[in-house]
Amino acid sequence: MMGISPAILAGTPALGEPKTKSAAILPAKIETLNPKGLPPPIQLIPMAPRLATLDGKTIFLVSDGFAGADRFLAQIAIWFQKNMPSVKTVYRLKAGSYFDDDPKLTAEIKASGNAMIMAYGH
Amino acid sequence: MGFPTAPLVTIAFKDLAKTNAANRGMPGERIVFLPHPMTNKTDEQMYAVLEGNDPVTGKNVMKEMVDALTQPLTAEEMKTGKVTPDIGPATYTDTADNLQRFYCDNNLTDFMPIILPTEEKVAAMLKGTSHKPDEVVGELSAARGAQPSWSFTVRHVAINAVMAGARPEYFPVILAISSTGQPALFSSTSSFSRMLLLNGPISDQIKMNYGIGAMGPFAEPNATIGRAWTILSKNLGGCGMPGLTYMGSLGTNFNYNNICIAETENKLPDGWKPFHAQKGFKPDESVVSIFSGWSLNNVAWFPNMPYHELIKNWLTHFFSFGTSAATLLLDPTIAREAKEKGFNSKEELSDYWSKNSKTPGWLYWDTHQRELKQAQAGVEPYASYLKMGDGEIPFQRFYRRGRFGAPPDPNPKSSIEVIVLGGETNTYWAGGDFSYVTSASIDKWR
Repeated sequence: MMGISPAILAGTPALGEPKTKSAAILPAKIETLNPKGLPPPIQLIPMAPRLATLDGKTIFLVSDGFAGADRFLAQIAIWFQKNMPSVKTVYRLKAGSYFDDDPKLTAEIKASGNAMIMAYGH
Repeated sequence: MGFPTAPLVTIAFKDLAKTNAANRGMPGERIVFLPHPMTNKTDEQMYAVLEGNDPVTGKNVMKEMVDALTQPLTAEEMKTGKVTPDIGPATYTDTADNLQRFYCDNNLTDFMPIILPTEEKVAAMLKGTSHKPDEVVGELSAARGAQPSWSFTVRHVAINAVMAGARPEYFPVILAISSTGQPALFSSTSSFSRMLLLNGPISDQIKMNYGIGAMGPFAEPNATIGRAWTILSKNLGGCGMPGLTYMGSLGTNFNYNNICIAETENKLPDGWKPFHAQKGFKPDESVVSIFSGWSLNNVAWFPNMPYHELIKNWLTHFFSFGTSAATLLLDPTIAREAKEKGFNSKEELSDYWSKNSKTPGWLYWDTHQRELKQAQAGVEPYASYLKMGDGEIPFQRFYRRGRFGAPPDPNPKSSIEVIVLGGETNTYWAGGDFSYVTSASIDKWR
């Protein structure tokens, strides 16, 4: 009988029949199942220590390949030249789609850079 | 240990970026937000964005970027450990009306009424397969690699199949679809559509409609199997949360049912293989195939030329987000005419279309900017192409590409798929930018 409202089993009250607080006309509660699958547990990753200053540091400006990201990063490079000239900027286009890691580029930044600015979406 | 990073994201993706960072273990990632869209801005406008403010925090964009790389980490940002996402209780108890409202309000449905998944109904669904309820079927993600992959069991699929209104005899099909790891709802901004094609004995066994109105709402299995894929993608893969795991700007109505069809195998011309046999399955195997694309044209046109020529011309001028793959859905009347014109297989017809369709000038240059520069420098054959203006350039665009960066194949295979279905009430056909993704055995899940 699970899933069938007692209101249906009881039938429709006849016209003119006085309404009462009978439990029979109250819809019954039923139990249904949670349809969700199992999301993976999340491993918290501590962020990398920050730099005390950007003076004299090398920042990689990395495009994820979306249209215009290269031009926007070029403007960031110009901003650093004007406002923080001791900062060296290096432009790179990340390999693969925006889904993919680029281990070669990560290794390059670790070896010869200090930080990364990555752009951007659409 | 990594290196300090300042990710820049446009405001349209705020919730997506924050949730994605949290899902990847960095809930406090220092994201700098930009106005949206950026793509169409001039260099001067882009520089002005740097001097302006982050639309979320109201702080100067460049100061925020510098701070993201230099401000000391907080205790929260240095946290380690594991977090288990909360998916709620195993069961819900309430009246049927309230439960309908609950499932709808919590984005557990396609926003149409469902069959409430009671233990009794799920047990009946599980009788549609010999597989054990706790067997792991696979993983689903709204975008593999970018979004988390959820895992799920036969029982999880059964709960969702009940909700979609499927009968137990459809269950092996729904399990086969689930086993591919392909979501019906993909996170892209481009509003992907999907298509499901059934082949083999299963179509008659469960009474799929492949006759009159084969692509319409005229049969229970077509309707509920397609619907089940959307509902289970939401619940078993976390897909279909607008702004978080679904970003399709316009969306697509195809996502309600995913064009769930079956091939009219009994009307294939002699020598033409059913689709699953083309992909290496035995003709007597039951198979579901998945296609991905965006749009379909349903064409009613009575030409003064053979239909294969008309379709070739349509292929030349058709464009959408996908410009290099196509799927043609032919009424058996069209397939028979093609056979009479000498095409002895789907492959021959597909190859003819791939080799003989062309590309309009504007489309060619819009997708070949490097070649445009060569054309302007007088390099052939591009220079000659440029002289053709908006005319049809003899560039074959419907062929299978190799992996990104792979050298071009000198003899590429056609990327045009051919499916035969429909009720022969007239000489109609449909075509679109759908490409074949994968196939799965249904028999394996009986």
